[in-house]
Amino acid sequence: MGLNAQKRLRSTISYCILILWSFILLFPMYWVGITSFKNAIDMSIKATYLPFVDFQPGLHAWRYLFVDRLTWFLDPFMNSVIVAFVSSTIALIIGSSAGYALARFDYGGRNNSIVLGFMSQRMFPGALFILAFLVMFRELGLLDTRLSLIIVYSSGAIPFIVWVMRDFFEGLPVEIEESAMIDGANRLGVLFRIAMPLAAPGLVAVFVLSLIGAWNEYLVALTLTFREAITIPLFMTMQVSQTGYTEWWNMSAISLVSVIPVVAAGMALEKYITGGLTFGALKG
Amino acid sequence: MATEPRIYPSKRFRFEIKDNLWKWIFLLPAVAIILILLAVPVVWTLYAAFTDLHLYRIGDFETEFVGLANFEKLMSNRSFWRTARNTVVFMLGVVPAQLIIGLTVALALNNITRGQKLFRTWFLMPLMVSPVVVSFIVGRMLFQEDIGPINDILRNLGFDGVPWLTSPTWAMVALMAIDVWQWSSFMILMLLAALQGVPPDLHEAARVDGANQLQSFWRITVPLIMPITMTALLIRIIDAFKVVEIIMVLTGGGPGQATESVTLAIYRTGVKGGDLAFGSSQAYFLLIVLMIFGGAYLVLTRRAMGKD
Repeated sequence: MGLNAQKRLRSTISYCILILWSFILLFPMYWVGITSFKNAIDMSIKATYLPFVDFQPGLHAWRYLFVDRLTWFLDPFMNSVIVAFVSSTIALIIGSSAGYALARFDYGGRNNSIVLGFMSQRMFPGALFILAFLVMFRELGLLDTRLSLIIVYSSGAIPFIVWVMRDFFEGLPVEIEESAMIDGANRLGVLFRIAMPLAAPGLVAVFVLSLIGAWNEYLVALTLTFREAITIPLFMTMQVSQTGYTEWWNMSAISLVSVIPVVAAGMALEKYITGGLTFGALKG
Repeated sequence: MATEPRIYPSKRFRFEIKDNLWKWIFLLPAVAIILILLAVPVVWTLYAAFTDLHLYRIGDFETEFVGLANFEKLMSNRSFWRTARNTVVFMLGVVPAQLIIGLTVALALNNITRGQKLFRTWFLMPLMVSPVVVSFIVGRMLFQEDIGPINDILRNLGFDGVPWLTSPTWAMVALMAIDVWQWSSFMILMLLAALQGVPPDLHEAARVDGANQLQSFWRITVPLIMPITMTALLIRIIDAFKVVEIIMVLTGGGPGQATESVTLAIYRTGVKGGDLAFGSSQAYFLLIVLMIFGGAYLVLTRRAMGKD
């Protein structure tokens, strides 16, 4: 077999593997998609796979969600939006300032150790935190408030923002910052007017990742909130425990509404997100 | 980058005093927040593990120190060891599967030129989806025993339907499948980055020297991607030991206690049951196990960082 034929064979096998795995990833999402257009009858006798062939799609689940029960869905949706955006913004400001500082200043030769200290957060089990947080926020009278989730989620996102942004700032040339400072700018000005704009791709990536983390979080939300401040994941599971049986078409529509924005944002920013996701193992 | 001596520009400035102030203003908020929200729970939980603290009795009764009583109870608690075993089984099931899928798909990705970006972008998708949606909505629909598509396809192929959520073994398999579906992408992306860091001329040189592809893979690729692979494995091991959300919403730990993880047990005792003391001792047990893997992870990370 010639080298070229060998190469062609290898790339054919590669494409087969990639297409197979892509299909495995697609199938569950496809299933949620079609289920949101199904009627009860399409899910009670046998599995139905293809709209118009196996079953007649209808919009009733979407009408139910956006017309009949919009107000009922809107509260947890807004809770999720507010908690995710506020916590990510706080984490971004605090975390990227620290990342910048660790890239540009010397802390007695212990910069790497400080970063590792932040990184050690990864090994602490969430189970340990929920017990302490439950008591802490109960004593503070903050149970079932968005504030409690904002506090927990921003602190959860800071370590990885510090790590990613420190790497990012280290990759930026210091000369621009130096000349600005010689011209009389102070560090705050340098950070916000020069370094941050240059680091915009990194900032967007860590912001979106912490947004997704907060948007999808379940365990802490389940522990700290129960009525007023519940987020979408909690809202979804509560629907079933209340009604006792599951209206899968409605649940599927809700899932899609909660999943599509973050998946779209993540995939649109693929180039930046991959670097942030693999943090802790790769440089930049 | 790692081997170059790092130059801190602040040393070169005349404004060192003012700059010194900013140095702390930038860093301290992050340090303070992490110290408060990380160290306080860690210390408080240690304290709670040595007391008889109970959620519904806080303020009503004096909390008493009970010494090692909670840990003694833990050692003889069969239900807890059941959950510990479940968690280890889960980890041993998902991590190797993710490594194999990750390596296979990453090698395939590294092999192609056209469409690589498209596949890479698509593979990010499961990492963005909420575990609740994956497990609760998708999992329960796909693994539904009577009319779920997985059993339906199996039956059409001539097999029997599998009792996914009612058999202890199959319920665990279903949970593993969900985790593999969601997290293999992490391994794929990490390993792809590692593979792309292998200089292509090394393989070329090996080929000229008469090495075949298998030799070239084992002798060149494997050693070079080892550090990143180890780090990725440690991250996945740590996360697998912490598994809870997909279990909570797919099986609730059942049937019986067959799929209950340690974290779910801690939630059940500490939060639902209010037994903070016993829950805390369980949490500490988990923390100690995670510290072994976390320590190795930090050592690897430290090495990747180079010198200060």
